[in-house]
Amino acid sequence: MNDSSKWDDKTIAVVSTSAILLGALLYYWVGQGQSTVELLELAYGSFKFFNNPLVF
Amino acid sequence: MLGSILSQYARTLSVFAAFLLIVLVEVLGIREAIYPSLEAVFNWMNQSSWLGIIGTTYGSVYATVEAVHLLSMAVLGGTVLATDLRLLGILFKDIPSETLVTGTHKCFKWALLMAILTGIFCAAGVANKVYFMEVFWIKMLVLLVGSCFMLFIKQPFLTSRPHVEIDPWMMRLLAIASILTWFTVAATGRWIGFS
Repeated sequence: MNDSSKWDDKTIAVVSTSAILLGALLYYWVGQGQSTVELLELAYGSFKFFNNPLVF
Repeated sequence: MLGSILSQYARTLSVFAAFLLIVLVEVLGIREAIYPSLEAVFNWMNQSSWLGIIGTTYGSVYATVEAVHLLSMAVLGGTVLATDLRLLGILFKDIPSETLVTGTHKCFKWALLMAILTGIFCAAGVANKVYFMEVFWIKMLVLLVGSCFMLFIKQPFLTSRPHVEIDPWMMRLLAIASILTWFTVAATGRWIGFS
Protein backbone atom coordinates (compact mmCIF):
# COMPACT_ATOMS: atom_id res chain seq x y z
CA MET A 1 0.00 0.00 0.00
CA ASN A 2 1.56 3.29 -1.00
CA ASP A 3 1.01 6.71 0.62
CA SER A 4 -0.90 8.19 -2.33
CA SER A 5 -3.63 5.55 -2.11
CA LYS A 6 -3.70 5.75 1.72
CA TRP A 7 -4.90 9.39 1.79
CA ASP A 8 -7.54 9.32 -0.89
CA ASP A 9 -10.78 11.34 -1.00
CA LYS A 10 -12.79 8.96 1.21
CA THR A 11 -10.03 8.79 3.83
CA ILE A 12 -9.59 12.57 4.11
CA ALA A 13 -13.38 13.01 4.26
CA VAL A 14 -13.80 10.41 7.00
CA VAL A 15 -10.91 11.68 9.15
CA SER A 16 -11.87 15.37 8.87
CA THR A 17 -15.59 14.73 9.50
CA SER A 18 -14.87 12.46 12.46
CA ALA A 19 -12.48 15.02 13.99
CA ILE A 20 -14.90 17.94 13.50
CA LEU A 21 -17.86 15.94 14.88
CA LEU A 22 -15.89 14.67 17.87
CA GLY A 23 -14.57 18.16 18.67
CA ALA A 24 -17.98 19.84 18.32
CA LEU A 25 -19.83 17.24 20.40
CA LEU A 26 -17.20 17.17 23.16
CA TYR A 27 -17.35 20.98 23.25
CA TYR A 28 -21.16 20.80 23.57
CA TRP A 29 -21.20 18.19 26.36
CA VAL A 30 -18.37 19.80 28.34
CA GLY A 31 -20.29 23.10 28.09
CA GLN A 32 -23.45 21.39 29.32
CA GLY A 33 -21.50 19.86 32.22
CA GLN A 34 -20.05 23.25 33.16
CA SER A 35 -23.43 24.98 33.08
CA THR A 36 -24.95 22.19 35.21
CA VAL A 37 -22.20 22.62 37.82
CA GLU A 38 -22.71 26.42 37.80
CA LEU A 39 -26.47 25.95 38.23
CA LEU A 40 -25.97 23.55 41.15
CA GLU A 41 -23.51 25.96 42.78
CA LEU A 42 -25.98 28.80 42.35
CA ALA A 43 -28.78 26.72 43.85
CA TYR A 44 -26.97 25.02 46.75
CA GLY A 45 -23.79 27.09 47.25
CA SER A 46 -21.46 24.25 46.31
CA PHE A 47 -21.30 21.32 43.90
CA LYS A 48 -21.66 17.83 45.32
CA PHE A 49 -22.20 14.63 43.37
CA PHE A 50 -25.28 13.87 45.43
CA ASN A 51 -26.50 17.43 45.58
CA ASN A 52 -29.86 16.70 47.06
CA PRO A 53 -31.20 19.55 49.21
CA LEU A 54 -32.76 16.95 51.53
CA VAL A 55 -29.34 15.37 52.26
CA PHE A 56 -27.08 17.40 54.54
CA MET B 1 -6.14 21.26 -13.04
CA LEU B 2 -8.95 22.68 -10.87
CA GLY B 3 -11.46 20.31 -12.45
CA SER B 4 -9.20 17.36 -11.69
CA ILE B 5 -8.86 18.39 -8.02
CA LEU B 6 -12.63 18.93 -7.76
CA SER B 7 -13.41 15.49 -9.15
CA GLN B 8 -10.61 13.76 -7.23
CA TYR B 9 -11.60 15.24 -3.85
CA ALA B 10 -15.33 15.76 -4.41
CA ARG B 11 -16.36 14.09 -1.12
CA THR B 12 -13.85 16.03 0.99
CA LEU B 13 -14.79 19.34 -0.63
CA SER B 14 -18.49 18.59 -0.08
CA VAL B 15 -17.80 17.97 3.62
CA PHE B 16 -15.96 21.27 4.01
CA ALA B 17 -18.65 23.11 2.02
CA ALA B 18 -21.35 21.65 4.31
CA PHE B 19 -19.50 22.64 7.50
CA LEU B 20 -18.73 26.07 6.06
CA LEU B 21 -22.44 26.50 5.29
CA ILE B 22 -23.36 25.62 8.90
CA VAL B 23 -20.80 28.13 10.23
CA LEU B 24 -22.00 30.85 7.82
CA VAL B 25 -25.66 30.29 8.74
CA GLU B 26 -24.71 30.87 12.39
CA VAL B 27 -22.16 33.68 11.96
CA LEU B 28 -24.19 35.74 9.46
CA GLY B 29 -27.28 35.54 11.66
CA ILE B 30 -29.32 33.63 9.05
CA ARG B 31 -30.57 31.18 11.69
CA GLU B 32 -31.74 34.03 13.92
CA ALA B 33 -33.48 35.67 10.96
CA ILE B 34 -35.33 32.48 9.94
CA TYR B 35 -36.22 31.27 13.47
CA PRO B 36 -39.18 33.64 14.25
CA SER B 37 -40.93 32.81 10.97
CA LEU B 38 -40.86 29.10 11.84
CA GLU B 39 -43.14 29.60 14.85
CA ALA B 40 -46.20 29.85 12.59
CA VAL B 41 -45.24 26.56 10.89
CA PHE B 42 -44.85 24.79 14.25
CA ASN B 43 -48.17 26.20 15.51
CA TRP B 44 -49.85 25.00 12.31
CA MET B 45 -48.26 21.55 12.75
CA ASN B 46 -49.58 21.32 16.29
CA GLN B 47 -53.06 22.87 15.92
CA SER B 48 -54.13 22.49 12.28
CA SER B 49 -52.27 19.61 10.61
CA TRP B 50 -53.93 16.17 10.90
CA LEU B 51 -50.75 14.82 12.51
CA GLY B 52 -50.95 17.39 15.28
CA ILE B 53 -54.71 16.97 15.75
CA ILE B 54 -54.42 13.16 16.07
CA GLY B 55 -51.39 13.52 18.35
CA THR B 56 -53.04 15.99 20.70
CA THR B 57 -56.52 14.36 20.65
CA TYR B 58 -55.73 10.64 20.99
CA GLY B 59 -53.19 10.00 23.72
CA SER B 60 -53.16 6.26 23.00
CA VAL B 61 -52.20 6.84 19.34
CA TYR B 62 -49.44 9.25 20.40
CA ALA B 63 -48.11 6.74 22.96
CA THR B 64 -48.15 3.91 20.39
CA VAL B 65 -46.30 5.94 17.76
CA GLU B 66 -43.82 7.15 20.38
CA ALA B 67 -43.21 3.51 21.39
CA VAL B 68 -42.40 2.68 17.74
CA HIS B 69 -40.13 5.77 17.67
CA LEU B 70 -38.25 4.59 20.76
CA LEU B 71 -37.98 1.03 19.40
CA SER B 72 -36.62 2.38 16.10
CA MET B 73 -34.05 4.44 18.02
CA ALA B 74 -33.16 1.34 20.07
CA VAL B 75 -32.59 -0.72 16.88
CA LEU B 76 -30.61 2.16 15.35
CA GLY B 77 -28.49 2.49 18.49
CA GLY B 78 -27.99 -1.28 18.55
CA THR B 79 -26.65 -1.37 14.99
CA VAL B 80 -24.37 1.60 15.70
CA LEU B 81 -23.02 0.09 18.93
CA ALA B 82 -22.55 -3.38 17.39
CA THR B 83 -20.62 -1.93 14.44
CA ASP B 84 -18.58 0.66 16.31
CA LEU B 85 -17.68 -1.54 19.28
CA ARG B 86 -16.52 -4.17 16.76
CA LEU B 87 -14.41 -1.51 15.01
CA LEU B 88 -12.93 -0.63 18.42
CA GLY B 89 -12.17 -4.33 18.98
CA ILE B 90 -14.35 -4.58 22.09
CA LEU B 91 -17.29 -6.76 20.96
CA PHE B 92 -17.91 -9.55 18.42
CA LYS B 93 -14.21 -10.15 17.84
CA ASP B 94 -15.00 -13.54 16.27
CA ILE B 95 -17.03 -11.87 13.47
CA PRO B 96 -15.14 -10.07 10.65
CA SER B 97 -15.81 -6.31 10.94
CA GLU B 98 -16.56 -6.13 7.19
CA THR B 99 -19.40 -8.65 7.67
CA LEU B 100 -20.85 -6.68 10.58
CA VAL B 101 -20.56 -3.33 8.79
CA THR B 102 -22.45 -4.53 5.70
CA GLY B 103 -24.87 -6.71 7.67
CA THR B 104 -26.09 -4.02 10.07
CA HIS B 105 -26.35 -1.20 7.53
CA LYS B 106 -29.67 -2.28 5.99
CA CYS B 107 -31.15 -2.55 9.48
CA PHE B 108 -29.73 0.91 10.32
CA LYS B 109 -31.37 2.48 7.24
CA TRP B 110 -34.82 1.03 8.02
CA ALA B 111 -34.53 2.00 11.69
CA LEU B 112 -33.52 5.55 10.72
CA LEU B 113 -36.45 5.84 8.30
CA MET B 114 -38.92 4.60 10.94
CA ALA B 115 -37.41 6.89 13.59
CA ILE B 116 -37.76 9.93 11.30
CA LEU B 117 -41.34 9.13 10.22
CA THR B 118 -42.56 8.47 13.77
CA GLY B 119 -40.46 11.40 15.02
CA ILE B 120 -42.33 13.82 12.74
CA PHE B 121 -45.63 12.62 14.24
CA CYS B 122 -44.28 12.91 17.81
CA ALA B 123 -42.89 16.40 17.12
CA ALA B 124 -46.21 17.53 15.57
CA GLY B 125 -48.05 16.56 18.77
CA VAL B 126 -45.85 18.87 20.87
CA ALA B 127 -44.70 21.28 18.13
CA ASN B 128 -45.73 24.43 20.02
CA LYS B 129 -43.52 23.24 22.92
CA VAL B 130 -40.43 21.90 21.11
CA TYR B 131 -40.13 25.03 18.97
CA PHE B 132 -38.87 26.93 22.04
CA MET B 133 -36.44 24.18 23.17
CA GLU B 134 -32.79 24.66 22.23
CA VAL B 135 -32.18 20.96 22.81
CA PHE B 136 -34.75 20.06 20.09
CA TRP B 137 -32.80 22.04 17.51
CA ILE B 138 -29.52 20.52 18.71
CA LYS B 139 -31.04 17.07 18.21
CA MET B 140 -32.26 17.91 14.69
CA LEU B 141 -28.84 19.27 13.71
CA VAL B 142 -26.95 16.27 15.12
CA LEU B 143 -29.48 13.86 13.56
CA LEU B 144 -29.02 15.47 10.14
CA VAL B 145 -25.23 15.60 10.40
CA GLY B 146 -25.07 12.07 11.87
CA SER B 147 -27.27 10.60 9.11
CA CYS B 148 -25.18 12.26 6.37
CA PHE B 149 -22.00 11.11 8.13
CA MET B 150 -23.26 7.53 8.31
CA LEU B 151 -24.71 7.29 4.78
CA PHE B 152 -22.22 9.33 2.74
CA ILE B 153 -18.94 9.21 4.68
CA LYS B 154 -18.60 6.29 7.10
CA GLN B 155 -20.31 3.46 5.20
CA PRO B 156 -18.74 4.20 1.77
CA PHE B 157 -15.31 4.39 3.46
CA LEU B 158 -15.71 1.13 5.41
CA THR B 159 -16.99 -0.80 2.39
CA SER B 160 -14.32 0.56 0.03
CA ARG B 161 -11.39 -1.50 1.33
CA PRO B 162 -10.43 -4.38 3.64
CA HIS B 163 -10.33 -3.14 7.24
CA VAL B 164 -6.79 -4.47 7.81
CA GLU B 165 -5.62 -1.73 5.41
CA ILE B 166 -7.14 1.02 7.59
CA ASP B 167 -4.99 2.67 10.25
CA PRO B 168 -6.24 1.48 13.69
CA TRP B 169 -6.25 5.05 15.08
CA MET B 170 -8.35 6.19 12.12
CA MET B 171 -10.78 3.36 12.88
CA ARG B 172 -10.94 4.36 16.57
CA LEU B 173 -11.55 8.02 15.72
CA LEU B 174 -14.33 7.03 13.32
CA ALA B 175 -16.00 4.66 15.80
CA ILE B 176 -15.82 7.09 18.77
CA ALA B 177 -17.18 9.99 16.67
CA SER B 178 -20.03 7.77 15.48
CA ILE B 179 -20.90 6.54 19.01
CA LEU B 180 -20.82 10.09 20.42
CA THR B 181 -23.01 11.38 17.57
CA TRP B 182 -25.77 8.80 18.12
CA PHE B 183 -25.41 9.06 21.90
CA THR B 184 -26.11 12.80 21.51
CA VAL B 185 -29.18 12.10 19.33
CA ALA B 186 -30.53 9.66 21.95
CA ALA B 187 -29.65 11.84 24.95
CA THR B 188 -31.11 15.04 23.50
CA GLY B 189 -34.22 13.07 22.52
CA ARG B 190 -34.73 11.99 26.14
CA TRP B 191 -33.94 15.54 27.25
CA ILE B 192 -36.83 16.78 25.09
CA GLY B 193 -39.06 14.17 26.74
CA PHE B 194 -38.17 15.34 30.25
CA SER B 195 -38.30 19.09 29.50
